[in-house]
Amino acid sequence: MVTDEIVIVTENRPLTGGHFLLSLHAPRQARSTRPGQFAMVRLLGDSSALLRRPMSIYDVRPLHGAAERATRSSADGMTGIKPGAASGNGDRSELIQLLYKVVGRGTQLMSELRPGDEVGLLAPLGHGFFEEEYLEQAKQAGEIWHVAGGIGIAALLLPAKSLAKAGIRQRLFFGGRTKEDLVGVEDFEPFMGEIMLASEDGSRGYRGYVTRPLEKALDSGYGKKLLLMACGPWAMLQATVELAKLHGQPCLVSMENRMGCGLGVCLGCSIRVKGEGHGSYERVCTEGPVFWADHVIWEKESIPKV
Amino acid sequence: MTSNQKKTPATGAETQSPEEEFIPRLDVTVAGIHFQNPVLTASGTFGYGQEFAHLIDLNQLGGIVVKGISAEPMPGNPSPRIYETESGMLNAIGLQNVGARKFLEEKLPFLRALRTRCLVNVFGYSTEDYVRCIEILNEGEGIDAYELNISCPNTRCGGMVYGNDPRLTEEVVSASKRVARRPLLVKLSPNVTDITLLARAAENGGADGLTLVNTFVGMAIDVETRAPRVSNVTAGLSGPAIKPVAVRMVYQTYRAVQIPIIGIGGIAKAEDALEYVIAGARAVQVGTANFYDPGASLRIVEGIRDYCRRHRVHFADLIGALRLPDHPAAPATEYAST
Ligand SMILES: Cc1cc2nc3c(=O)[nH]c(=O)nc-3n(C[C@H](O)[C@H](O)[C@H](O)COP(=O)(O)OP(=O)(O)OC[C@H]3O[C@@H](n4cnc5c(N)ncnc54)[C@H](O)[C@@H]3O)c2cc1C
Ligand SMILES: Cc1cc2nc3c(=O)[nH]c(=O)nc-3n(C[C@H](O)[C@H](O)[C@H](O)COP(=O)(O)O)c2cc1C
Ligand code: FES
Repeated sequence: MVTDEIVIVTENRPLTGGHFLLSLHAPRQARSTRPGQFAMVRLLGDSSALLRRPMSIYDVRPLHGAAERATRSSADGMTGIKPGAASGNGDRSELIQLLYKVVGRGTQLMSELRPGDEVGLLAPLGHGFFEEEYLEQAKQAGEIWHVAGGIGIAALLLPAKSLAKAGIRQRLFFGGRTKEDLVGVEDFEPFMGEIMLASEDGSRGYRGYVTRPLEKALDSGYGKKLLLMACGPWAMLQATVELAKLHGQPCLVSMENRMGCGLGVCLGCSIRVKGEGHGSYERVCTEGPVFWADHVIWEKESIPKV
Repeated sequence: MTSNQKKTPATGAETQSPEEEFIPRLDVTVAGIHFQNPVLTASGTFGYGQEFAHLIDLNQLGGIVVKGISAEPMPGNPSPRIYETESGMLNAIGLQNVGARKFLEEKLPFLRALRTRCLVNVFGYSTEDYVRCIEILNEGEGIDAYELNISCPNTRCGGMVYGNDPRLTEEVVSASKRVARRPLLVKLSPNVTDITLLARAAENGGADGLTLVNTFVGMAIDVETRAPRVSNVTAGLSGPAIKPVAVRMVYQTYRAVQIPIIGIGGIAKAEDALEYVIAGARAVQVGTANFYDPGASLRIVEGIRDYCRRHRVHFADLIGALRLPDHPAAPATEYAST
């Protein structure tokens, strides 16, 4: 269930290419998170951005991990965080991790957060990847292929984990501009049968868009029944959806749009979807962020220019 | 803020005695509707209430004004619809809504069960639209008042025309008033030269109260691409950025009409709400703040209570309680230049 809480930063680890991994002590929210859901981050303080920033929930984990070790050794001796009792189902998750890239004012302010700082966290939001129908599809598919563009990778780790737990074979296609954008690959390694990387400048993996290796893999077709799950920039999503359609494979997309509230009330995040008449709108924050690709209207005019 | 000081145990102990014993009344009657406290949530920023049910106790609010409803469902504008600006945001949602009948069937039952007052924001593209929408809503049970949106700046042939023209304002208000089986509030657009003219027109048309204000028409441009930031090109500005202008409009209108005023624009904390009240508002609405701070409205209620306790006044005593300087630099309706 969604809650609005003030939570404490335990770590804000810089990665390559202006990416960061932010760990927040949010036990209640961590335990109610399902794969594919997101959070709205509120930066507190006078100079801060007005609206919250939407961020995929990259990972949830217990306090006893790398993040906590780093926190304990930090100069200001962040304390006061004690492991809470595990919930009824034995879930010991306490931390919510957000993987983000600095692109503007809000994410710049996020990058300045230090252990012990507070942020407002509204989470978990959205219906996520695994409403029953998805898991059903996933089980029927021979293999799940994840397709990530840039920071879109952040939406895919929790789904990958839970699919692995269900014993489903997976493969990751991950592209960025340069090798610096290919963050978090190690986190995916335990769950993937195969990982195909691509960078536009050729600094790591295939040189070019990730949709090229994806196309080749689809072409060399095993006649397998697949399920594609994609998250990334609009152009990449559109190309992926085209390829999936061409090969008759079902495809799920995790969409982005500007968000005012994350709660379904401002209607700022609506995208065009198929429906009666000229099509209707659905809210990325509420009906999404995950949609079946063939439900979304992929016209130019419906492009959210975020 | 004062509320914080009051909550620390040390201060509480010191101010024992007379101050603690004063229990201020926060309830207020506006246009014949009795509210348990003067804090309402604004149309278009609080959905149909249900969306916030997990986050706050809806029964503690004074009232909920639901998203603008039209006789028929409306789809709204393409993306992008919103853009954050300095201390504010632009929106061009385009009045997407489920339509009056579906509202009665699907949304009203939940609202009716609350102790909180339910106000329905109504809009249309012609006087007949407004009348038809109100006629449908009249059939619903549990609606406490209508709030006529004659001010939405987002639709080409829509509210804008009414909100800018005193004659049209009076026309649509009196036509709506004739059919309305509940008190009728009229929500004014701030995009006019002299808001008191529109306020008087609404009063003449039979409005039971006024809501001031809707969003200010604004615009933002991405200089790299030279494209407008929202698809509709122009959009409505809301949030803290608009507060001083809206407070001024409440102050002017309070002196120009007899009917009660509900103040709205950039209210995010108790002090903001109190500015409106002292300027002349009988109640307030919280809008954009709900987006980034769902708990804001209820904290405002508590903040007002703390203020009243500290000043030993009941809420109703604060309405229009502005202390003007002995020799105001300029009459109320003129603009003091620097
Ligand atoms: C469901 C969802 C999940 C997301 N997950 C992640 C994630 O895990 N990691 C990550 O780095 N980013 C993610 N994003 C994108 C992230 O929200 C934006 O990069 C961020 O809001 C930019 O804020 P800013 O102030 O730094 O940028 P600015 O450009 O200064 O922002 C200005 C405004 O535009 C909005 N905006 C700008 N870019 C985007 C965008 N791509 N999507 C939505 N709104 C945008 C901002 O929220 C803000 O209101 C996600 C977006 C959505 C909708
Ligand atoms: C996203 C959004 C949608 C809105 N929708 C409506 C609406 O349907 N009807 C209406 O009368 N006002 C609508 N408004 C205006 C608000 O009710 C309010 O008058 C305005 O935002 C100023 O208050 P604020 O600064 O507290 O937000 C909307 C505002 C926003 C930001
Ligand atoms: S972000 Fe407000 S409705 Fe989706």
